[in-house]
This record gives sequence, C-alpha cells and structure tokens, in this order.
Amino acid sequence: MRSKLLYACGLLAALLLVRNLYVVLLQLPDDADQGAVYRIIFYHVPSWFTAGMAVLTALVASVAYLIRKDLWWDTLAVAATEIAVVFITIGLVTGSIWGRVAWGIWWTWDARLTSALVCWLLYAGYLVLRTAIEDPSARARISAVFSIFAFADIPIVWYSIEWFRTQHPAPVLRGEGYMDPQMKAALYANWPALMLLAAVLLAVRMRQEAARRELDGLRRQAHSL
Amino acid sequence: MDQRGIEFMFYGLSSAWLLLAAYAVTLVVRERRIHEEIHRLRNLVEDRDRK
Amino acid sequence: MIFLRHVLTVANKDLRSEFRTKEAINSSFSFALVILLLFSFAFDPTEEMTREFSGGLLWIAFAFAGALLLNRSFVRELPNDCLDALIASPVPAAALFLGKSLANLILLLLVEAVSFPVFGVFYNQRWTQQFWPLLLVAILGTWGFTVVGTMFSALTVNIRLREVMLPLLVYTTLLPCLMASMQLTTLLLAGEPLTSVEGLVWLRFLIAFDVIFSTLAVAFVETVLIG
Repeated sequence: MRSKLLYACGLLAALLLVRNLYVVLLQLPDDADQGAVYRIIFYHVPSWFTAGMAVLTALVASVAYLIRKDLWWDTLAVAATEIAVVFITIGLVTGSIWGRVAWGIWWTWDARLTSALVCWLLYAGYLVLRTAIEDPSARARISAVFSIFAFADIPIVWYSIEWFRTQHPAPVLRGEGYMDPQMKAALYANWPALMLLAAVLLAVRMRQEAARRELDGLRRQAHSL
Repeated sequence: MDQRGIEFMFYGLSSAWLLLAAYAVTLVVRERRIHEEIHRLRNLVEDRDRK
Repeated sequence: MIFLRHVLTVANKDLRSEFRTKEAINSSFSFALVILLLFSFAFDPTEEMTREFSGGLLWIAFAFAGALLLNRSFVRELPNDCLDALIASPVPAAALFLGKSLANLILLLLVEAVSFPVFGVFYNQRWTQQFWPLLLVAILGTWGFTVVGTMFSALTVNIRLREVMLPLLVYTTLLPCLMASMQLTTLLLAGEPLTSVEGLVWLRFLIAFDVIFSTLAVAFVETVLIG
C-alpha cells in the first residue's frame, strides 16, 4: 500500500515535470534580452527552494533527534541532507551554465555562489562523516550536532562574503527584480513538482536507511556466529 | 523561440534532469544491493540457527 | 568559580602533558615554518606583493599548523581510557571542553608568536608597528579556530579516518573566521588602523563568530562526549 502510494506520487511528479517542461519550452514568450538560456531559471530557482526546504528539514530532524533520541529522526536527517546535496548540485550546475552565457564566466566568487558552494561542502562533509562512524546511535548523535553547526555556519558565511560586491541577479521574486507574471507562474509551477519529486526520493531514501540499519544488525549477528 | 544561447539552455535543462535521473538510479542500485545483502545474510543466519 | 577552576585545571593538565612530550607543538611549529618557507619559493614575492597577501599567507600557515594540534587534542586521551576517566570525573563536559580549547589557544598562539618574527625576517616586513591590535586579532581569530576545532576534535575522536575528517569539516566551517582574520591581519600589516571602517566591520564580525560558535560548542559538547 505504502509503496503504491509512493509510485503514484512519483508518477504524478514526473507528469508535472513533463507538463512544466512543455510550458517552459514551448509556451513561454522569449526574454527581452537573454535569449533561450533564461529558461534555465525554471529549474535553477525551484531547485534552490527545494534544497532550502531539505536543509531546513535536516536541521529540524537533527534537533528532534537530539531531543527524542529516536533513530527515525536520524533517518529523516540523512535522507533530507542527501536530497539537499542533490538539489544544491543541480542549483550550482544550472547556475554555472547560465552564468557562462549571461556573464561570460562559469564561476565568480560572489556571496551567493560562494555560500552555496560552502553549503554544498558542509553537507557533503556531513555525508562523508556518517560513513566513518560505525555505531548507529553515535553516528546519529555526532552527525546531528555537526548538522546544527553547518546550518549555523551558512548565514555567517553569507555575511562574510557579502562585503565583496555581489554579481548575482537580485532575487526575482521579491523586491528589485521584475518578472513577467506568466514566467513567475511557470516558476512557481515547477517548484511543487520538484518538491513532490524530492518527497518521493526522501521516502525512498528513508526506507533505504532503515534497511541499511537492519543490514548492520544482521551483519553483527552473522559476525557473532 | 529565440535561438540565442539555445545550446546552453539545452545543457542547463539536461544537466538538471540528468542529475536527478542519476540520483534516482543510484538509489535503485543501492536499494537492490542492500536487499541482496540482507537476503544473503538472513539465509546465512537461519542456516546457522538450524545447525 | 569552581567551574573556572575546573577549566584551568584541564588546561593546565593539557599544557603540561604537551610540554613533556612536545610532540604536537614541535610538528606544528615546523609545519608553520615550512609553509612560510615554501610560499616564498613558490611566489618569490616582492615587498609590495607580500603586503597584499600577508594575512592570507599567515593564516593559512596557522590553520594548517593548528590542525596538527587539534588532531592530538582529544586523541591524546585515548590511550589508557583517559577520556572515559575525564568524562566520569566531576568536571562538567563544558569545563573539559573549555579547558582543552584554552590549552589549544595557548599552544597555537605560541606557534604564531614564532611565525610572526620569522615572517617579518623572511619577507622583509615590519610587523610590530601595530603590535597590540595585531595581538587582539590573533587572539580573536585563534579563539574562533580553536573553539570550532576542539569541538570537531571531540566529534571525530572515536571515528575512522579522523585525520582526514577533521580538516575537511573544520576548514569549511571556519571559512568566515579565517577570512575575517586574514582581512584584518592584512589591514594591520599594511599600516591601516584597526578603527578604520573596514577594520571595524571585520572585527565585529570576528567577535560575532567567536560568540556564536563558543555558545554552540558549550551547549552541545555534553551531547557529543556523553550522549
């Protein structure tokens, strides 16, 4: 029953993504001065939103684990972090490709890009850290503390780099940047699609983490024989 | 559609899709490996128990 | 008051055992010197160039040398189960942590105290012109480094590959702290006052980093060590 629901959600996410791809590629008008490359934004920005949600989930799950000491929260934390790393990677790669055309360079050390990269490094470090700890409860405890440190670090990194002038375009959704309502609608339509996909991946990853714990238990049992 | 930068648009969109697909494939492969391993170990433990 | 005494006892213990063997501080010293030496060969800088990157060079040397100290900080307690004894002792985990951070702070400051004159001689820089502000920056930057570093040293003490894991996690987290220290050191070595607009911004930032991470570390160290 559960896995059927999961498949259904995955299918729905795929359908939504295909429908959004159709809108993005064939229905939306051209941007005034960017050419076709601006269409990357419909994946770039929602990926960042999704990554942000995943990072928040990881934080909440880490704190909850430390309070409740229930390994379910640890499972959620690791799944959310892994999803976050995937979406941060997508954000970085798509952004870099867009920057190659719009700015003429793949990369620049401005506040947004650099904090994004540091964020990626921190959460990838979290995943590496987990592989180095054998005992499940020690692993959960230590990585939860590290996750909290990583989260606290992100805004500080942000401010530390902001003193250099920022090259990234102003956020399009609030304030300075302007965006055509039709495009904004497409942007907001792709976010729930990616979120749904992320939720499905999250559920799969959580199930996997539980299976992996079972495997660890079996390994110990087999070892003791 | 405006053709300027269309190859880079293609790279951008396909990289997003490919990364997601690659992650999904890793998940599936990992899942399969874990289940095989669980199956194997369970058989091992049960065999030992019987003896 | 008793808490403070616990902190000082732990720091004293750490410093004493370090000065008996000198294994961490010797390697740390020589590593810092080697980096300073290598840089001058690698870039063959003029005095002008050196003034531009002095902060970066010095803090990279300190960060690398510091990682060697941090690696030893908790690992030193592993033989004979000293760590378990320390945790079981009436010293609270926060005091244990602060004592160890204090010891690391002093050790790293010693390394820096040797590195600055060496830097001055090798690179032909007058580094003493603003000695007291420079000392303040060194203490603040090093405190940020040791407080995060000691915390992560406690995090990684019982895991595989800890010599690899510790720098990987520490340097990423410390990026803002190192950046502020580098900027301030470059500023001071270039002869600008600490009270300039840029200096004050970075100084405030560095203090904020120290306060935030000291608080976090003290709050979580018990969870990490005891669970």
